[in-house]
Amino acid sequence: MNGQTKAQGKLNNSELWGGLIGLALGVFVIWSGLKLKLGSINDPGSGYVLFYTGLLMCVFAATIIVAAITEGGPTFGSRWEDTRWTKPLLVIACLTAFAFALDPLGFLLSAIPLMVLLLRVIDPVRWSLTIPLAVLTPLGVWWVLKRALLIQLPSGIFEIG
Amino acid sequence: MDVLLNVAQGFGVALQPINLLYCFIGVFIGTLVGVLPGIGPISAMSLLLPVTLSGTPESGIIMMAGIYYGSMYGGSTTSILVNIPGEAASVVTCIDGHQMAKQGRAGPALGISALGSFIAGTFSLVALMLIAPSLANVAIAFGPAEYFSLMVLGLVVLTFLTQGSMAKALLMACIGIVLGLIGLDSITAQPRLTFGRMELIDGIGLVPVVMGLFGIAEVLFNTEQVIKRDIINAKITQLLPSKADWKASAGPVARGTILGFFLGILPGGGAVVASFASYALEKRLSRTPERFGNGAIEGVAGPESANNAAAGGAFIPLMTLGIPPNVVMALLLGAFVIHGLQPGPLLITQNPGLFWGIVASMYIGNVMLLVLNLPLIGMWVQLLKLPYNILFPLIILFTIIGVYCSSNNVFDVYVMIAFGVIGYFMRKLGYEPAPLVLAFVLGPMLENNLRKSLILSQGDLFTFVQRPISAACLALAVVLLVGPLLPSLRKKRELVALDEGA
Repeated sequence: MNGQTKAQGKLNNSELWGGLIGLALGVFVIWSGLKLKLGSINDPGSGYVLFYTGLLMCVFAATIIVAAITEGGPTFGSRWEDTRWTKPLLVIACLTAFAFALDPLGFLLSAIPLMVLLLRVIDPVRWSLTIPLAVLTPLGVWWVLKRALLIQLPSGIFEIG
Repeated sequence: MDVLLNVAQGFGVALQPINLLYCFIGVFIGTLVGVLPGIGPISAMSLLLPVTLSGTPESGIIMMAGIYYGSMYGGSTTSILVNIPGEAASVVTCIDGHQMAKQGRAGPALGISALGSFIAGTFSLVALMLIAPSLANVAIAFGPAEYFSLMVLGLVVLTFLTQGSMAKALLMACIGIVLGLIGLDSITAQPRLTFGRMELIDGIGLVPVVMGLFGIAEVLFNTEQVIKRDIINAKITQLLPSKADWKASAGPVARGTILGFFLGILPGGGAVVASFASYALEKRLSRTPERFGNGAIEGVAGPESANNAAAGGAFIPLMTLGIPPNVVMALLLGAFVIHGLQPGPLLITQNPGLFWGIVASMYIGNVMLLVLNLPLIGMWVQLLKLPYNILFPLIILFTIIGVYCSSNNVFDVYVMIAFGVIGYFMRKLGYEPAPLVLAFVLGPMLENNLRKSLILSQGDLFTFVQRPISAACLALAVVLLVGPLLPSLRKKRELVALDEGA
């Protein structure tokens, strides 16, 4: 924690939010367990393990929250201090766009732009290398999978690939 | 005599040309992912899990096992030459290995690392051959209560050894159990947490979860930093250690081998724990502990032997009890299940060809690794020069393809991307993914055995403490859970706590 800004019981305490998310998940799991029916100790039902796991989650989350309030924790800002935080954000955006495009456009039409973006976003690779890499790698993989391993990748509405 | 006959049968399987080829591919890829920082054996094994479908179970599992122990060899190369661990078990090798390289002794460091690994790997195989059949005979008598308690112990050990807050690790383990229970209830066939989606009826796949949490998240985490590599450019000569090096390393190799093997067997343990424990032991036993951190060959020989011995030892709980002691073994369990096989006490008697074939292939793989890691060291050094801005997009593309091929389902690609993003934020907030993944695999087995025990004992909770093995496992788990509350034990835990990832 050295050198990191600590927040005690404040809203920008990242530990507190981690604990709260855990607590919310725990409550949801308890509720799901109850909905699925607990059964009895002689004959545990489908929700039995979920219910008790949810209880444990709440206990552990509460421990994290208490520690965050009493001992404090690093702020969100300090977690990303001195990092190139826009880079993972851009990669996440590229992957999300790819996920939406994969089914309708198919593998080739979505993977080639994904590769172009990734090669230019992380630490820009020169265009003369980006284009052949972005085109040839997905094409090569598609060819090996389709011809050698007989695995059909999604071809999308244009049925390319 | 029986053992020799079985080994002969195993070599009969392992020496078939197709199995030799799969073994070579496995150890080659293992060395490759071990050498390349940012991609570890877990990512590589999940990427290649679908490939195992195209061959026999023997071939597939021989290849997967090869990736695991191969990565243990390869990881040291990067640690020594670049000062970046190729995979988690080689973290500790950076300390003295890179110092030796800086002093112009990269050759002996790489040499003792490969030779120590070979000795330890061979020892652990002999021990695996001798111990596994006897343990399998004992394990036949295990009931659901013993299995439940063993799994609880495995999860607790892993959370105990995970870096940072234990509450966070335990929370992750609970989330892993819940994720593992998604899908149809194995006893009542009632859908659980499926939100009405057909894709979730069979549960979430292991491959997208692991690839997301370890592959994509690792890339996201690495992109936010400028990775500088301090590669030793001097020509590497004289790989064989001198007499003095051997004299200094003999003890650490022997101790590391034995310590690593036993730590590998422990549920929740593994190669990473073994390498750290061996380093600490050597430093404590040394008459000149101040040399550690400044290029002591013992600091390379011990941990490198320990992590390879642990890789061999970790096969014992999987093969004899059907319980994976760590995430890598959980993936191997996945490979068994894909082929309709269930590792456990009956595997050795029902499928002797498979079991002994895998063991024999590991001997062959160890010899292959020695050849790959000593004379071909120059090739791996060249590979280290591959720029990250090209490597990371390629890793992302291959993980997407690997996940899609494992199920031919686009939904799994979405799951992987979602877990990649979750994994990135988990790492940023100090939540380790290893307990989640192990609990994800053990969750359904744990639930099944708990419910079976309660039904068989008619709801008597004492069934878990009346059976000695079960009671011992639970007692140890309680000690480990309560231990960190005591300040002295908390301090010790922080010293041995580690990142099981990669």
